[in-house]
Amino acid sequence: MTAIRKPRSSPFARGLSDRQLAFMLVLPAAILLLVFAVYPFVVAAFDSLFKINLLTRDRSFLGIDNYVHVVTTPAIQQAFVRSVIWTAANVSIQLTIGVAIALLLNAKLRGQTLIRGLVLFPYMVPAVVVALVFRFLFNDLTGLVNVLLLQSGLIEKPISFLSSPATVLWTLIVVNSWKYVPFMVIVILARLQTVPAELYDAAAVDGAGRTLSFRHITLPWIMPVLLVASLLRTIWAAYDFDIPYLLAFGGPLSASTTLPIQIRTLAFGQAQIGLASALAVCVAILLVVAGYLYLRAYRRSEERMA
Amino acid sequence: MNFERPGDEAGPGGSRLARPRRVRRFGPFRAGQYVLLALVLAVADLPLLWIVLTAFKADQEIVAFPPTIIPEQFTLENFQNLFLISPFGAYLTNSLIVAVTTTALTVVLGMFAAYSLTRFRFRFLRGVGELSLFAYMVPPILVLVPIAQILVGLKLSNNLVALIVLYTATLLPFALWVLRSYFHGITVELEQAAMVDGCTRFGAFIRVVVPQAVPGLISTAVFTFNAAWSEYLFASTLMTTPTSLTLSPGLALLLDQTGVYSWGVLMAGSVIVVVPVVALFIIAQKQLVGGLGAGAVKG
Repeated sequence: MTAIRKPRSSPFARGLSDRQLAFMLVLPAAILLLVFAVYPFVVAAFDSLFKINLLTRDRSFLGIDNYVHVVTTPAIQQAFVRSVIWTAANVSIQLTIGVAIALLLNAKLRGQTLIRGLVLFPYMVPAVVVALVFRFLFNDLTGLVNVLLLQSGLIEKPISFLSSPATVLWTLIVVNSWKYVPFMVIVILARLQTVPAELYDAAAVDGAGRTLSFRHITLPWIMPVLLVASLLRTIWAAYDFDIPYLLAFGGPLSASTTLPIQIRTLAFGQAQIGLASALAVCVAILLVVAGYLYLRAYRRSEERMA
Repeated sequence: MNFERPGDEAGPGGSRLARPRRVRRFGPFRAGQYVLLALVLAVADLPLLWIVLTAFKADQEIVAFPPTIIPEQFTLENFQNLFLISPFGAYLTNSLIVAVTTTALTVVLGMFAAYSLTRFRFRFLRGVGELSLFAYMVPPILVLVPIAQILVGLKLSNNLVALIVLYTATLLPFALWVLRSYFHGITVELEQAAMVDGCTRFGAFIRVVVPQAVPGLISTAVFTFNAAWSEYLFASTLMTTPTSLTLSPGLALLLDQTGVYSWGVLMAGSVIVVVPVVALFIIAQKQLVGGLGAGAVKG
């Protein structure tokens, strides 16, 4: 029988010190992250300075030429504008509707648990399935949306949601919001449930109605979460590839080609690896700037609450 | 006043007695809330109902104008055709292998690393923490090209192993993030007690800490499985032979190939893709609640 051992200094059965154990436990994860995140990141940044021939793997140094190209190419400029519209619209729509639904779900209606599960549903559906079902629903001829709109007399001719350059980007924004609003709802709802009831009592005593209570109590209270969720959604939306690509493949007439789709087209369609990498690096830099602005606003909103 | 306050019923104990009980009327505001709720549920869930209904309809019902809502003739034809016209069985097997292996690897490696990061204080661990944060922010589209090159160099293109390793690497930061917060919440005293009783530190981790982290492990597993099961960008770029495709690119390919769409077949494929995700979520929800109860309280 061994006596009581001091946990920290004792040698263990396999002779591992804490330091060795800590190192071994963390090693596989660290290697994977280095190989598949840091290394490719460095390679992409490096590639962006070269003109690369995919077949012969020859590279010639260009310096910042690729970056100049990124800024001056009209197709990339247009993709940039689309990406800004895409991201801004997605985040603001998801934020507004997310807050509205979270308030609704927080209002102690009947059947809460089931309802929350049902509202969460779209978030779990894989992007491919989302793309397929909305291609079907928004189909020009047999799509249910057009059938219902025609039958109710709201429109006279079917709307070509996905096949017209004028409507395609907005249709994609609606579909993407359908999938990601539930994410906002979960996050906001969790925060809403922590608002102290006393605050509302005090407001009610002072004669504040629903609107005033929302503006002066609820909104400041959930603001930090709104900012963090918006930051995440901004990053994810800006990089979002699956849903826009699978619904419209960047078309018609490039009308839905956002920056991620442009990057992949440059890299794999036109074999311009250097240019694609330069564009990807530019997007990453822009998002770091956006992230910094959000975090500054976040700190301010936290300070205001304290 | 009929103002609905969050936390009204579940308010901190005692405070409810101090307040006069408010009368809850079913006013126009309440009614409006229920109408809105019905609308929200319709928009959220009717598209999914439409998938299921269409999957069991014959083609002539689908393309009829107006299409039937409920299948008049319930048929399994679409599912049979799906497996006839495409190697859907292979896609299914591939996705299952990739998702299950990725989940197991991510949970185990994430658990090890997260434990190390929360329990030990060495300088190299801070580096790993920052590394995972960095990896979390790196966009997939940025690293797509270099990763494709790495995998070609390793002669791993069209090999499921490539996807498994890649998914594990990209999902690890998330796993670390969730599991670290779980391990933070577990007291060190129990581990120390186990070590006093003769366990090694690793033994104490496996026997004492891991069982308490089960809810965190399950939610990590569900998220990881879902992400690996649904991934499209990497899979569609790196896997090019039909037999190496997973479900997402496979289903997308079916959309291209069928030209004149058979919506019934595509919806049947969609049902098969969605069912495991939803089933897992429902099962995990119960597990999560159960897991929370079976904590260290028994001690």
